[in-house]
Amino acid sequence: MTASDLVALSPLILLSATALVVMLSIAIRRHHGASATLALLGLAASFASLRWAASVTPRQVTGLLLIDGYTLFYWGVLLALAAAVVLLAYSYLEHQTGHQEEFYCLMLLATAGGLVLVASSHMASLFLGFEILSVSLYALIAYLHLQRLPLEAGVKYLVLAATSSAFLLFGMALLYSETGSMQLATLARFYMGAPNAALGAAGWAGTVLMLTGIGFKLAVVPFHLWTPDVYQGAPLPTTALVATISKGSVFALLLRWFHPAGSLAGTPVWWAFVIMAAASMLAGNLLALRQNNVKRLLAYSSIAHMGYLMVAFVAAGPLAVQAATYYLLAYVITILGAFGIMSVLCSGEEECCELEDYRGLFWQRPVLAAMFSAMLLSLAGIPLTAGFLGKFYVMAAGASSALWLLLFVLVASSTIGLYYYLRVLVVLFSSLPEDHVKVMLPRGRVPAGAGFSLAVLVILLFVFGLYPAPLWDLIRGISAGIG
Amino acid sequence: MLNLLWLAPALPLTSAVLLAIFGSRWPRKLVSLAGVGSIGLAAVASMLVAWSFLTAPPPGNAFVLPLWTWMAAGSFRPEFGLYLDPVSLLMLLVVTFVGFLIHLYSTEYMRGDEGYARFFAYMNLFVASMLLLVLGSNLLVLYMGWEGVGLCSYLLIGFWYRDAANVRAANKAFLVTRIGDTAFAIGLFLLFTQLGTLDIQQLMQRAQSQWPAGSTLAIAAAALLLGGAVGKSAQLPLQTWLPDAMAGPTPTSALIHAATMVTAGVYLIARTHVLFTLAPEVQLVVAVIGAATLLMAACSALVQRDIKRVLAYSTISQIGYMFLALGLGAWSAAMFHFMTHAFFKALLFLAAGAVIQSLHHEQDMFRMGGLRRELPVAFWSFVIGGSALAGLPLLTAGFFSKDLILWQSWAGLNGSIWFWLCGMLGALLTSLYTYRLVFLVFYGTAKSHVSERPGLAIKLPLAVLCVLSIFAGYLDTPPHFGGVPRLSNFLNSTLPALEEVHVGPVITEVTTALTASLVFLAGFSLAYLLYYRRRVEQPAESALARFWAAGWGFDTLYSWIFVRPFVWLAEVNRRDIVDSLYTALASLTQASNGLLQRTETGHVRWYASGLAIGSAVFLGLVWWMR
Amino acid sequence: MPTSAAENYFPVLLQILIAMAVAGGMVGGSFFLGHKVRNRIKDMPYESGMVPTGDARGRFSVKFYLVGMLFILFDIEAIFLYPWVVVFHELKMLAFIEMVLFIVFVLAGFFYIWKKGVLNWAAEGNDEGKDAVRILSHDQHAA
Repeated sequence: MTASDLVALSPLILLSATALVVMLSIAIRRHHGASATLALLGLAASFASLRWAASVTPRQVTGLLLIDGYTLFYWGVLLALAAAVVLLAYSYLEHQTGHQEEFYCLMLLATAGGLVLVASSHMASLFLGFEILSVSLYALIAYLHLQRLPLEAGVKYLVLAATSSAFLLFGMALLYSETGSMQLATLARFYMGAPNAALGAAGWAGTVLMLTGIGFKLAVVPFHLWTPDVYQGAPLPTTALVATISKGSVFALLLRWFHPAGSLAGTPVWWAFVIMAAASMLAGNLLALRQNNVKRLLAYSSIAHMGYLMVAFVAAGPLAVQAATYYLLAYVITILGAFGIMSVLCSGEEECCELEDYRGLFWQRPVLAAMFSAMLLSLAGIPLTAGFLGKFYVMAAGASSALWLLLFVLVASSTIGLYYYLRVLVVLFSSLPEDHVKVMLPRGRVPAGAGFSLAVLVILLFVFGLYPAPLWDLIRGISAGIG
Repeated sequence: MLNLLWLAPALPLTSAVLLAIFGSRWPRKLVSLAGVGSIGLAAVASMLVAWSFLTAPPPGNAFVLPLWTWMAAGSFRPEFGLYLDPVSLLMLLVVTFVGFLIHLYSTEYMRGDEGYARFFAYMNLFVASMLLLVLGSNLLVLYMGWEGVGLCSYLLIGFWYRDAANVRAANKAFLVTRIGDTAFAIGLFLLFTQLGTLDIQQLMQRAQSQWPAGSTLAIAAAALLLGGAVGKSAQLPLQTWLPDAMAGPTPTSALIHAATMVTAGVYLIARTHVLFTLAPEVQLVVAVIGAATLLMAACSALVQRDIKRVLAYSTISQIGYMFLALGLGAWSAAMFHFMTHAFFKALLFLAAGAVIQSLHHEQDMFRMGGLRRELPVAFWSFVIGGSALAGLPLLTAGFFSKDLILWQSWAGLNGSIWFWLCGMLGALLTSLYTYRLVFLVFYGTAKSHVSERPGLAIKLPLAVLCVLSIFAGYLDTPPHFGGVPRLSNFLNSTLPALEEVHVGPVITEVTTALTASLVFLAGFSLAYLLYYRRRVEQPAESALARFWAAGWGFDTLYSWIFVRPFVWLAEVNRRDIVDSLYTALASLTQASNGLLQRTETGHVRWYASGLAIGSAVFLGLVWWMR
Repeated sequence: MPTSAAENYFPVLLQILIAMAVAGGMVGGSFFLGHKVRNRIKDMPYESGMVPTGDARGRFSVKFYLVGMLFILFDIEAIFLYPWVVVFHELKMLAFIEMVLFIVFVLAGFFYIWKKGVLNWAAEGNDEGKDAVRILSHDQHAA
């Protein structure tokens, strides 16, 4: 452990230290604003230190963590997302009874878990990151534990995440027994070569079991069943966290792990990914079709989006990594915006997430409704939004690898997807119900912090949709190392 | 200074967005300020640009302001840029300046309307789109502006949407122009696949070097672009939408359906003139369409009752002159006529608006009369604008521009005696229907009560446009009378110079001008006799008149040929086989939704078994593939 | 030397058999040889000499579980000290610093639960503590 190693790790260290400081500050004196501010400051410091860390990278820090451009890029993304979640959570939690402050401590820890995942180059660190993330999420999902749904969701997630961790761990053991290595890069080399030549039955079985654990976190079919219940039950900021930081970091890890492997195409694992992609796209969109709860609807749509992402993932070559990264970024921005708008609207103890609650929203809260529409359009992949370009790049990556069948499924399922996004849009813009007793958020002001982060998200949505060149160049730069 | 160019479309666009979002909450004054001010500033920016362009012409007499690349996919990388050359500069100035005057006028004309902010939002959006159309360096940008103006036109025709007739008129305009737009879009695809770019300048160079004159591809491309132009500019056979478009507020008619948007087709053809030169057959078709349209529309204008419909038909007819000029290869003459027409037609529409407003929205000319003393400003505007339209020799702008076209219809590249005769006959009719309007509305006995008189915001634009309608013609005076064709010379750096292929023996520049003057006088005298002396009190009722009044029966014809068979087919085909395929797909989707929904039981034990089952399936897959 | 797995594990089997024989022999011996007296006191569950009260299915305060959990947490943290001792001489100062940091973190956590009132059983006059108990045991009371 040298000084440079510490510098390279500084964002992670600062983030973890912030979590600790927030915890201690709560122990000394509770204050919601102070906790949120501390969390924000810590995230900002951590973000700022990325530059500093960049001066000593790329670097392998111990056998566990690999800090390079790719890692730092994703770190930056995760930290920015976390900051946005803090802002949204602040306005959301203001209206909740019970303690609010621990939320920030837990979500900082979850973010730290994500950071470890992104950087991990070894199974031990992978598992550590996985667990830090999971354990924080148990508590975050059940954070409003006086209400029925969050508690139920928390318990479900606890049981299932623990099960999936068991799968993961067992898979690691099998892989280690076969290959004698826990370095992800070494493992990746086993997948390369001629199909099946290098890896025996235990190795492949171990890989499949690990994918079960990872697939659970990504919520791809067939490991997706928990998604709607947990999305619906969790408080909105936590839902946003699960949808963005948890999935984003796990996917970043997956991308890094499997993409140096050159062409996976034709191997059993590749086929497993292809099946997951196709099944996720179809099942996710089909499930969302007639859903009347917006949170569940977005949960199903997230399954489909992970499927789209997988299409880029199974494609070969550098374009695949770039497309997947771009898509992921577009997706997390959009979904965070969507959940953020919902969390601003659903203040008060009760969350109003039924589709009917949103009827005629445009006539009551035009700006928020317009933002929500933008997010939905981006999710549907309508041009001028980031979602469109993301999908465009995914299709380009798929086409360059001639994955015609997958692309067909993508197009067909996107069409299905359009249906339910438009359904929501129609509700937003339809006229007010005759007896609109339940007014969403009586014409109050949107809290400044939440409003700011939403505005930034909307702007990014359009900037990335209209002028992707700088971001694309950046992504090309960081993904040069892998894939 | 040229870099200010982007401001011209950006300002109205910003204002349109702001007005759309906040307009309903802003006080009226602020709305006016934003709506008119943005166009005013755009006009100032355009003038600064023009000044800089004229005093220090950029190399090659063209200036490109690149903005950004939208997305790069293979060889498809649309560059967003603004392109300024003499032609687009002329358009830019006219659009912003006339647009500004009309916006100013609207502040008074629309002041009592509940959709005040909405009106200005649409109008600003229109100006922004029009400027995009004019300045786009890339056909894709041009197309974006093209569709944008189409949209605004639709919105504004149906501005008073509570009246179903207005909505129908808006739909009609949208659908009919869409036919042309589709042709245009296909033309774009063709150009891109064949020449690999949509940048206009590159396109023209490549077309010139790759396609021999008269080649099939050139003809196809030119014909498709012509289709778009015909739709937008309301020329035969897609002219039917324009008279109905008068359902919109009068300032809209002035700005969109007279001065600017409808001339987009003229601009498009002038912009892509290289293609038309490569396809002489199509160019001849342009001339024929122009000649036929100008005569047909002029006849229809003769027998209208509605003051705005007279002007609408006269617009179609005047654009016919421009098309004739384009078809003859007299590119700069078309642009010259575009400019003068923009001034005097905007003037006429605005004056008509003043009359209509003063008479409680009465539009029937046979119920007007004797307004000369009551509404002197409107009267003088009509006299000046009408004279310019009819081509009062030497004094008005319209005379010079029309004279150039008439001369070219004989002397130009495709010139012939027939075009010349058509032009002359059209001029006669123009003069006749113009003074018919003036005599009917302003002379004779008063039949309606004048309720209010126009205020300053209406008078000022009228006055400015009067001045322009008179003096704009001196920009380009024929050399045979010792004049200097400044505008033609200026435009000729971009457009090919006017050619004089046939000269004499009888028809020379001088005799053409003399004939035009005589024809003007003849039309005037006829109108004087019929509508001043004899004071015809009822519109003509003969079969021919009815036929003309109904726009030569095109609406009925189209209704029989296209609309009714289509509706019939749709009725018959209500449950067609193609549909049932989609219905089946939809039910399949619904069914699979129901099936999948049952997997979401809410039971943790089932979810955990889902993990196990999924894993087992993949284990099996791996086992099987090994 | 043993040559097969069976030979290898034979001593283990032997051990198991002997263990079962001893346990079975002792219980069986006392069953057959002993004198049997039955009364109410003798049939009561053994509670370290205390007289049992109430039902075995009675509810405990959530505090029992809480303290149990905390004990296990800190217990496991303490286990890290054992391997640390083994490698201390190789890692020297770095190991020392890391362990100090680790202890500080554990103490910070301890400080937090202390201030949160988890360890405060009396829960009188301490709102924070009462709050924690109320929230943590809410579901039980509600049920």
